[in-house]
Amino acid sequence: MVRFFVLFVVILVTLFAAELTPPVQNAVVLPWTGALARVSVGLITLFDSHVAAFGKILLSTTNGFTISIEAGCNGIEAAIILIAAMLAFPAPWKHRVIGILAGLCAVQALNVVRVISLFYLGQWDMKVFLWAHLYLWQALIMLDVLIVWLIWIRTLPPPPSPVS
Amino acid sequence: MKAHAPSLGKFVLGTFLWLPPGFAAWYFSAQYHAAVAGGLARLLVDQFKPGIVSALEQQGLVLVFVTTLTVHPAPGQTALLLPEVNPLLYTYGLAFFFALMLAVRARWWKILVGAAMLLPFQSWGIAFDLLAQVGIRLGPDVSAQAGLLGWRREAIALCYQIGSLILPSLMPVVFWAGFNRQFIESALRRPDKI
Repeated sequence: MVRFFVLFVVILVTLFAAELTPPVQNAVVLPWTGALARVSVGLITLFDSHVAAFGKILLSTTNGFTISIEAGCNGIEAAIILIAAMLAFPAPWKHRVIGILAGLCAVQALNVVRVISLFYLGQWDMKVFLWAHLYLWQALIMLDVLIVWLIWIRTLPPPPSPVS
Repeated sequence: MKAHAPSLGKFVLGTFLWLPPGFAAWYFSAQYHAAVAGGLARLLVDQFKPGIVSALEQQGLVLVFVTTLTVHPAPGQTALLLPEVNPLLYTYGLAFFFALMLAVRARWWKILVGAAMLLPFQSWGIAFDLLAQVGIRLGPDVSAQAGLLGWRREAIALCYQIGSLILPSLMPVVFWAGFNRQFIESALRRPDKI
């Protein structure tokens, strides 16, 4: 447990600090956030054509309401936490790679739901939007990370039995 | 008597069901734990850069830090800088922690101890929100007056990001895992009971 925790903290802080550097922001974070905005708009247009994406901004062409996907809302921090937890936990590398890829899909899928829900909540009621944005969705995304990690550790091969 | 570990499905359902009451309990008690977290944040700021904060006030749920720094809102006018911090941004994890712990029917003393253990991390967020305002957002005049230059600004930026983006939602899970190692160990042994 101690080994896991120390490794987890080291990997987490390293990845998070790297994420904040300008090269990683330019090469990964901003393109990813733009892609997230486009995917969200692509899904929204399946049932509502009055939406457009400009970079990391979603715009309602009906009423001019906009949301900008910022740090903390692009799912990258949640992904970093999940990656750190999977790398720190003792597991075969094959399971780690599969777990990280599947986990990132699960986290980002829920994050798209977050972005779309916030886009409509903001047009409906700003107080509800702020509550959902600042508090509720933060907890739900982390719960998603925890669930993915718990499911992943259940798929790991059983630990070797102690020799008597 | 030991509390039994529920299946993962029951745990997830329980967490969802306990989230609304958790958020209600957190919000309606926010005035009190924000005061404690704010007091700890003031101590942390004093360690990082002594002498910046002279008093801490609370207006409803908002923490107001009375600083020794001055600003000039208009020519000939001088005012003390009173940065405000919304503590809810850093304490909402308490609601999440309640939900996680109640979903596994944790003992009440564990919930209370965990809530107390969250306070230093909440105060981290509050302290570095204040320092980010003083050291970065309010401009070079204020940061120079506060003596927050060079490496201190870089440290503030990193610690602020960690305190706002990582710690509020992660620490409840960390403490939940610490209090429920048996649940996690049972998950490793029961791949069929998802």
